Amino acid sequence: MTLLPWLVAAWLFAVGLYGLVTSRHYVHLVGCLTVCQSATYVLLLGIGYVHEAGPPVFYDHPPGTPAVDPVVQALVLTDIVVGAAVTALLLAIAIQVQRRRGTLDPQALRPLRPPPSAAE
Amino acid sequence: MSGLVAGLLLLAALSGLLVVLARDPRRQVFAMAGNGLVLGLLFLALQAPDVALSEIAVGTAVTPLLFLAALAAIAMDRAKGRTEGRAKGRTADPAKDQAEDRAVDHAK
Amino acid sequence: MTPRWRLLLLALALAALLPAVLRVALAMPEFGAPTAVLGQSVNALVPELRHVANMVAAVNFDLRGFDTLGEECMLLCAVTGATVLLRGARGERGDVRAGHLPGRPVIPRADATVLVCRVAATLTLLFGISVALHGMTTPGGGFQGGVIAASGLLLLYLGEGYAGWRTLVPSPVLAAMEGSGAVLFVLCAGLPLIAGHPALTNGLPLGEWKDLYSGGLMIAVNAAVALSVTGSFGLLLVEFLEETREPADAPASNEADHEDGTMRART
Repeated sequence: MTLLPWLVAAWLFAVGLYGLVTSRHYVHLVGCLTVCQSATYVLLLGIGYVHEAGPPVFYDHPPGTPAVDPVVQALVLTDIVVGAAVTALLLAIAIQVQRRRGTLDPQALRPLRPPPSAAE
Repeated sequence: MSGLVAGLLLLAALSGLLVVLARDPRRQVFAMAGNGLVLGLLFLALQAPDVALSEIAVGTAVTPLLFLAALAAIAMDRAKGRTEGRAKGRTADPAKDQAEDRAVDHAK
Repeated sequence: MTPRWRLLLLALALAALLPAVLRVALAMPEFGAPTAVLGQSVNALVPELRHVANMVAAVNFDLRGFDTLGEECMLLCAVTGATVLLRGARGERGDVRAGHLPGRPVIPRADATVLVCRVAATLTLLFGISVALHGMTTPGGGFQGGVIAASGLLLLYLGEGYAGWRTLVPSPVLAAMEGSGAVLFVLCAGLPLIAGHPALTNGLPLGEWKDLYSGGLMIAVNAAVALSVTGSFGLLLVEFLEETREPADAPASNEADHEDGTMRART
């Protein structure tokens, strides 16, 4: 039972990878990438969790009361916000791919094949 | 480990699976919003209110909207490609576009 | 490579990794009994050292402030990249109307939606500012406050419609907020260097514990992050929603559409 957080993190990462491999739509692929990302959040926050401890904010309870690890929380916090911006960058790339190649199927997007207009 | 944390962990695993299995990107957006909410509640249960605040704002509001806007832009481009024909060398075959739309539903 | 081969490769890789994952999971410290010393020392020492109540903010803006500076640069790069990609391909065009998919009905917004969105957007924006301001005392800070304020901007869009929203939220202001936030962060990190101290040295008076002013330099860093995050997410929203517009002189549009282009966005 105590293994559950680590197994959930591994599960989320594996499921996200499965989605990345089988995805047939670039936007869907970006969504699967966010699942992979959430695995790291679960892992980090699971590492920092302390039984019977409060949040690492000493406003209502005085310093010295048991609290969970603030360092991993800071890591996750910045990553969530920056990760969302990176996701937006990937979506912008997806829109441009659709504009230029007319398809979003990763299977049809061979990087070295010139667009049909250039071949003519 | 309290039952609440265990339940939320299982729910997070399930909602992550649903995000991957929702092959239609338009449906996936809603699965992602649900996943963001579950993760936010999980972080709250793990005594991380700071992280939960940003996860709920990012995961349930901002990211799904960005996905929806991107999908709308892509759908508009496909519609334009269908009406404009083969101009600019795009694949403007409506049957192919629709087949592609359907493929995402049926691909495993 | 066909999808079948890719799937097979993934299955092989996962099968090879599974024993390693299980072994690591079994060797992990027990859930709820961490072995990391750093976090517990932060909890024990920092309230007295920095006079702040929120340890996460202290780690973000002071103890690991340099790390956050790197994250800030990533945010700036990602948002700049997305903006350049979208705006560069689209061009700066002012005259746009709502894009429309053939066969999709256009449902006018109800008055109730407008009212609820106005109330909720105001409250969300205020909540975001409050969360950002109280970063040192209660859960919150620049990152969360900025994101909440950006989702308030989103509600503003839902309530006011595109045209009204764009006049309320000009994108140059958002870009300026983002840039000035990044510059403020770099100044906070760089000015102590000029004086001969390590970067991000907390030279300001630390203030009172549990007070709105507590943490010294952290307040400035927090404000920089709040400005930057609000600006960048607002800019992303503007750019992506701009993508769902089409030029008013698009070939598919007829004259009637051209006339009420902005009206349709509002109703």
